[in-house]
Amino acid sequence: MTAASTPVRTPVRAGAQTPRRRVRSGRGAAGKSRAERLAPYVLVAPAALIIGVFRLYPLALGVNFSFTGDGDRNGQAVGFDNYATLFDDPLFLASMRNVGLLVLLLPVAVAIPGLLATFVYMRVPGHRVYRGVYFFPAVLSPVIIGAIFNLLLAFDGPVNALLGAVGIGPVDWLGDPDVAMYAVVAVHIWATFGMALVVFLAGFATLDASLIDAARVDGASLPRVVRHVIVPGLSRTIQFVVVTTMIGMLTSMFGLLYVMTGGGPEGSTYLPEYYIWFQQGQMSRPALASAASTVLFGVMLVVGLAQIAVLRRTGRED
Amino acid sequence: MKRRALWSSVLIAPLALYGCGSAAGPDTGGGGESGTLVVWDWKSGDETAKSYIEQAKADFAKAHPDVEVEFVAQPFDQYYNLLGTAIQSGEGPDVMLFNGGGQLRDRTDALLPLEDYLADDMERLAGWEAFSADGHIYAAPVTLQGHPIYYNKALYAEAGLDPEAPAATWEEFLADCAQIEEKTDATCFALGNKEGIGIQFFLSGLGSGVLTPEEYDAWIAGDRDWTSPNVKRLFEMWVEAEQSGLNNEGVNSTAMFNDEFAIFDAGEAAHVIGLMSDVGHWKDFGEFLGAENVGVMPAPLANPAAVPSLPYDGGIGYGVAEWTEDPALAADLVRSLSSTAALEAFYADAGAIAADTTIDASSSGPATAQIVDAIQTGEPALHVALSAETLELMGRLSQQLLSGSVTVDDALAQLAESDQG
Repeated sequence: MTAASTPVRTPVRAGAQTPRRRVRSGRGAAGKSRAERLAPYVLVAPAALIIGVFRLYPLALGVNFSFTGDGDRNGQAVGFDNYATLFDDPLFLASMRNVGLLVLLLPVAVAIPGLLATFVYMRVPGHRVYRGVYFFPAVLSPVIIGAIFNLLLAFDGPVNALLGAVGIGPVDWLGDPDVAMYAVVAVHIWATFGMALVVFLAGFATLDASLIDAARVDGASLPRVVRHVIVPGLSRTIQFVVVTTMIGMLTSMFGLLYVMTGGGPEGSTYLPEYYIWFQQGQMSRPALASAASTVLFGVMLVVGLAQIAVLRRTGRED
Repeated sequence: MKRRALWSSVLIAPLALYGCGSAAGPDTGGGGESGTLVVWDWKSGDETAKSYIEQAKADFAKAHPDVEVEFVAQPFDQYYNLLGTAIQSGEGPDVMLFNGGGQLRDRTDALLPLEDYLADDMERLAGWEAFSADGHIYAAPVTLQGHPIYYNKALYAEAGLDPEAPAATWEEFLADCAQIEEKTDATCFALGNKEGIGIQFFLSGLGSGVLTPEEYDAWIAGDRDWTSPNVKRLFEMWVEAEQSGLNNEGVNSTAMFNDEFAIFDAGEAAHVIGLMSDVGHWKDFGEFLGAENVGVMPAPLANPAAVPSLPYDGGIGYGVAEWTEDPALAADLVRSLSSTAALEAFYADAGAIAADTTIDASSSGPATAQIVDAIQTGEPALHVALSAETLELMGRLSQQLLSGSVTVDDALAQLAESDQG
């Protein structure tokens, strides 16, 4: 393409009225053109190399590694054995079920900051204080939060003492397999909803106040205002919060799980991440862990593509 | 050309220097009787191990005054990763510390058999089993780790029981516990099974009172009959203890390290199956309860044919890398590191039961003396013989047994499959 255009351009350039413009357009002398032809590749190279060498290549290595054996069969190709082991392992299946549970709990995780942001926006008494207080847990590390809630939720801890005072029997928050996962998710939501709240408040800032005023003048009740004015006006914000909250739940619960339950009781609080760490670090089965990582990658890919689809649709609506 | 030569030398220089910066130093092992021996461990940086290291160095310097010994303390959580890298590259420390059991047995390829060098220490030291594989000995034990049943003598007295005569049978033990729960605010056992380790201590702590000596030996040798009545009895006792209220509440959400031990320290439980060295042991308990109030009892007999013994294994020990230049010199350092004087210092400062059976432990209170006495007749712990996978499964099943979501028979069937499959 360039080879064809160069001879045409050169004579034009010789008698050019606007040489500066020609030079800037970058189709100069033959010697230069080669360098400039390569320039884009050279400029893109660092980014491409970093992605290729540090992302795609290890990814391929990891997938390849998941088809080899552990222990005595180290380095041997074992086909889909690791995947068969995975889907036969009650721990891994429990971790995948818990991913499903997180998806089901997602609306709650989005509704809480949304509702609280609405109250702050509606200027309930003390809303300035709440705005700061709600954000506060977001600056604490999961390890510290986990340690705090370990104390609070201990069997002989303050939460059970409080329940006992009002006559409700003690709950083994972190020791009962039917309760523990909900307890950890609740703590995770408590710890992270501040960020979503800020996003919601930013969304509210773009909301047209006159619409709400108009609705009020027409005599709409608060629930109706929320449903017919605020939710449609915030649809893009809500979608963004849904996407980021889902990512947060799937990728950053490790610290809490590690500190609060260690995957227990009875393996009921395993997530794929924790399972990968456990198999690789504790059981010395890196190939099995690679297979689990590959499955998790697949799950995240599906979730990610779904998110892109959602975001694209929103963009079109706009 | 000149420029090219310059570039080559720049490129080659690091290669020429390569090796000088290695942990082993340029003259590892030393020709003849000089040079440096490098030791890797995770203990020598501890304040409590200082006098131990000094004693060992002094002992070694007597025979080899011109050899320098360099201790490199690695962080424990990274230790076996770092060691693995050193082993793969075939260079690294001359002498290195190991936990007994699997961690050592997985790496015997990189270690020198030491039985010829350590022949004179065989009688004096205990815990060799954990440092042996395929008929060879790969490290000399420094400390012992085991699982005595500790009891609180003050609580026994408060409940009107004789603190010097703990129960000898499981029935008597249950009766004593009933009396303790009636007369005091304490529970019978302090138990934390959040990590699933509680069952391991229970199995090893009480196992010798249930299994016959033949069954016990067969278990350790790898011939385990998970469906035998006595093994079943042991797991039924685990459930029985919970159901009859012997344990503190919320066992599955109580961490063994260190909430379980804190319950015993606070005098809120009369018994705990603890450790012998490092943590959760006589020294910790003695600091809270007073050394005179910490008792150690043999496993109560639930089977008349059983013979109670102290379950213990070699805790940590030093081995020699197969790449060291002068094996005899490195083995001599290992001998110094397990010499009586050094181990005595370790026992006194770090609160570890040292592998040396000639050390007089009577000054640390009755519990220590009892433990040291029991070492002579002790046996390897039952749970140490199990693989990491089976232990993990057992931890999960033990939690299910406590919550009643699996039966003993079902749990044993799963364990048998994991152990033998």
